[in-house]
Amino acid sequence: MAYTYSKIATVTVGSGGSSSIDFLAIPQNYTDLVIKFSLRSNRASVVDSVLIRYNYNTSSYTGRSLVGNGASGSSDTATGLVINGDSATASTFGNGEVYIPNYAGNTYKSRSGDGVQETNATTAYMNFSAHLWSNSSPINSITLVPENGTLFNQHSTATLYGIKAEV
Amino acid sequence: MASISLKYKSKQGNLTAPGDVDPGAMIPIATVTASGSATYIDFTSIPSNYEHLQIRAIARSTVAATEVGLLSSINGDNGSNYSWHHIYGNGASASASAGSTYTYMNYGANIAGANATANNYGIFIIDILDYSNTSKYKTFRGLGGTDNNGSGWVQLGSGLWQSTSVVNQIRLATGGGNFTSSSSFALYGIKKAGA
Repeated sequence: MAYTYSKIATVTVGSGGSSSIDFLAIPQNYTDLVIKFSLRSNRASVVDSVLIRYNYNTSSYTGRSLVGNGASGSSDTATGLVINGDSATASTFGNGEVYIPNYAGNTYKSRSGDGVQETNATTAYMNFSAHLWSNSSPINSITLVPENGTLFNQHSTATLYGIKAEV
Repeated sequence: MASISLKYKSKQGNLTAPGDVDPGAMIPIATVTASGSATYIDFTSIPSNYEHLQIRAIARSTVAATEVGLLSSINGDNGSNYSWHHIYGNGASASASAGSTYTYMNYGANIAGANATANNYGIFIIDILDYSNTSKYKTFRGLGGTDNNGSGWVQLGSGLWQSTSVVNQIRLATGGGNFTSSSSFALYGIKKAGA
């Protein structure tokens, strides 16, 4: 049986939190990448976002996003995906996924992603996004950072998977 | 002696043992296809040794509507321990809705109803991350919808189960009526890295 969905690495944030989650030396032999994340930051708000950076590059990211807050829908140009902030109900974490096709290619890098934030209230946030990194370099490292907080809280996790078109 | 890659073995057709094959990280756990008319679908005795779970399904209800909500409860918990939120579009505009302290999660109108085009089923994918992590309440994320050849909905939904317990049972139900036959639900385990 051919396999197409392979686990590469998992990062679990330990006591004290972490300012970033890093996937380094990413193998270049997959077709696409997927990251699943369960994150909460130390931002003093119910909501934060996770920014996803490639090759330590912090520029040339743009996006279009569909946003919900439990009461209405809207659209913006955010380049982050929604996660929980530290004012959300205790022990709750955001849940999200990003899909990065053709990450080892030599074209600009598009990705799709969605993130949801939960708390025990009617106001909570989610977004569904398309992002572009206007850089043609192959992606060999990925860094996740909170957009507004300074740390990911303990028990936050992120897992990187590789998708193969064939074996 | 040089090792022989699994890829080579597979292409040569000379696999020697089940252990020769890495099935990858996404493992089918159970598939349920409704027969007759099913009030709900249960996945029970879910193994706890995966990192994440994913449900993929198509579903249609007997309720007299074009679409109906997908509901869920966990581990037989019928207390007011659930919240849910979704954003949805109907081809013309986007809206959102929410609920808290409910006795179930509601992912939105992901199930085709009896008034939908014949043979038409709604579709959804639900991700449950860190479902066996006892330090976390469980956040569910679902993407799905129904298209009825002229009308329909698409939605991104989330659900919160306020419990740190390991998820070992998932019940899916419709917001009205029963699941029709051929509604099909598959549960997958997503392996931990290094597992």
